[in-house]
Amino acid sequence: MSTTTPDDVLLVAQDLFAAMVDGEPGTLERWPGPPADLADPVNAWVDAGGAQGVRTVLATDRTTAVALARSLLALGPDEPVEAADIRDVLGELVNVVSGNLKGMTPGTGLLGLPVVVLGPPAVDGALLRESHLRWRGSRLVISTWNLGTRGTTR
Amino acid sequence: MRALVIDDSRAMRRIVAGLLEDLGFATTQAGDGRAALDALDRDGVYDLACIDWNMPVMDGLSFVHAVRERREWRGMTLMMVTTESEHDQIVRALAAGAHEYLIKPFTPDAVRAKLDLLGLLPREETS
Repeated sequence: MSTTTPDDVLLVAQDLFAAMVDGEPGTLERWPGPPADLADPVNAWVDAGGAQGVRTVLATDRTTAVALARSLLALGPDEPVEAADIRDVLGELVNVVSGNLKGMTPGTGLLGLPVVVLGPPAVDGALLRESHLRWRGSRLVISTWNLGTRGTTR
Repeated sequence: MRALVIDDSRAMRRIVAGLLEDLGFATTQAGDGRAALDALDRDGVYDLACIDWNMPVMDGLSFVHAVRERREWRGMTLMMVTTESEHDQIVRALAAGAHEYLIKPFTPDAVRAKLDLLGLLPREETS
């Protein structure tokens, strides 16, 4: 996945959000301003194996994570969003992004299962790409990390 | 017609099951391959199984192998619905006995087109 570009990430994410989150294109775009730290972050990631492990991380703030969970699980405005709902939805979103990016780099190996952390990420590797995106006014950050030869271990 | 939707993500099961129900299927959901085998033992063969690849307990490819070992389940159509999009993975799944392969993310039209190819759409939905 080291050969993918920020444009690849944007296109994959736009396809995902158009097809499965919003049901229409045009809701996801590049973040227009300078990046800033996410408040109350939620991080989801999936590792792909192969000769060199690559981790794809989707990060956003807690409020946006709740909105995404509400959307994909079709929860009503009065229905509570549990931590398990956030883990389910963020995990699936990063799974789809990671799988499609992996598909652009054959030989990367199978995907692992998603990990979602309500807090800072646990990444020990070299940053390959970072894309800052805007969804309905909120920020999403998709990054890929080279984990070296550790494969899918954390 | 009855469909078994197998995915460890509740959100994805909801989306896939919703699309199938819109097309007239009665759906049952399972969170992994093992739970899906239990559903088959309990309910008998389904017309269609939509199968994620990467799941805990039992993954989708192992589920396909297990289904193909049972004579009474041979009539069930198996469609992988997964993010594993590499050519080698697709070949592995088809060689194991899957009939079709749908890569996430997908649109309702893509689901309908695959089911049409498989001859699983109700007549009024057939293009």
